[in-house]
Amino acid sequence: MKKFYPAAAALVFAFALAAFAASPSARATDDSASPAPVRLGAMVEDFKLADVDGQEHTLASLKGKHGTVLIFIAVQCPVSNAYNERMEKLYEDYKARGVAVVGINANSTESPADVKAHAKEKNLNFVILKDKDNRIADRLGAGHTPEAFFLDASGKLVYHGAIDNSMNPVMVNTNHLRNAIEATLEGKQVERADVKAFGCSIKRAGSM
Amino acid sequence: MRLLKTLALAICLCLTTAHATAARQGKARARGSRRASVSRAKTSPPTATPAPTVTEIDLEGLKKLLQRDADVADAAKARPLLVNFWATWCDPCRAEFPDLVRVNKDYKDRGLAFVVVSGDDISEIKTGVPKFLQQMKAPMPAYLLNVPDMGAAINEVDATWGGDMPATFLYDRERKMVFKHFGRIDPKELREALDKVLADK
Repeated sequence: MKKFYPAAAALVFAFALAAFAASPSARATDDSASPAPVRLGAMVEDFKLADVDGQEHTLASLKGKHGTVLIFIAVQCPVSNAYNERMEKLYEDYKARGVAVVGINANSTESPADVKAHAKEKNLNFVILKDKDNRIADRLGAGHTPEAFFLDASGKLVYHGAIDNSMNPVMVNTNHLRNAIEATLEGKQVERADVKAFGCSIKRAGSM
Repeated sequence: MRLLKTLALAICLCLTTAHATAARQGKARARGSRRASVSRAKTSPPTATPAPTVTEIDLEGLKKLLQRDADVADAAKARPLLVNFWATWCDPCRAEFPDLVRVNKDYKDRGLAFVVVSGDDISEIKTGVPKFLQQMKAPMPAYLLNVPDMGAAINEVDATWGGDMPATFLYDRERKMVFKHFGRIDPKELREALDKVLADK
């Protein structure tokens, strides 16, 4: 067992508190003001977002020939970070098979520079867009990181949710997202199209 | 009706006593094991209180905890129930915890049942989770949800919940959900909901 230093722990905790007091995340539970998010089976309309270098991309310009994975990711979320290698591997594995992988960071607390530095450090080579005012997170109904959306070749949402069944790589036995991609590539219906998992709430702009 | 109420109260008292006894025994055990470990290695400063016990639950355990089943003869049903889902990896969860401990302190004597459910990996059940609860001096009954299919558990709680942490749910005496909040709680908003549900007899 590790030694426990109350003073050090208190200090770390005070820092954590200070960091989050400055940017508390709270998604209003009553979202009736914003339009309902895209449903499974519906088309995801084209959108335009800037990447971490400020260069704008449309979904249409990034989409893969056979489908597109959009994953909401974070710099600071340990769950999202637990998936860095898996996300990069996904991108590498499907690049040649016509499925694009695009990261989206919608945390108002994480600047494009933060996201860029993090991607470099963690060796994430796919395009990462900055959803500055979380407009796209709202449109897709993304609540946490990591949260994946898979659009088929036509742009229809065919999968939403977890990348796999466990944050802990050794516990993974069901690759939900890959299963959805493979089924779609084979022209089959996705068996489990909506799989929930725990994640860090997206820190939306202007919340609380 | 009066007879039923008296009966429920009696059961409630019995359970509380049993629970307190179990808790004391648990504490005694923890103290015993600490004494044993101190001689081997200085694991914690002498002022530290024993780390709380975290109970592992599966989907069935979660269902029972939420006490949705109308036929469950549990006296706790008479109390409104507040459930907070959190994890040690979740910064806003950690940040809101002192507020939750204060809420528990202010409302437990007013008849609120409050439980916290961790979504941490099972490997944290004896390490990170109790350690954090200990730091927070959190006396609420603590559980760790260990299920192969997290999605089913999340849906069991609330179909509109995507799994974002933290998430807080309040149930009235009939176990109807009367308040929910995803993300860090607003203590004022939560207290208003608690006042309302506790006033509603």
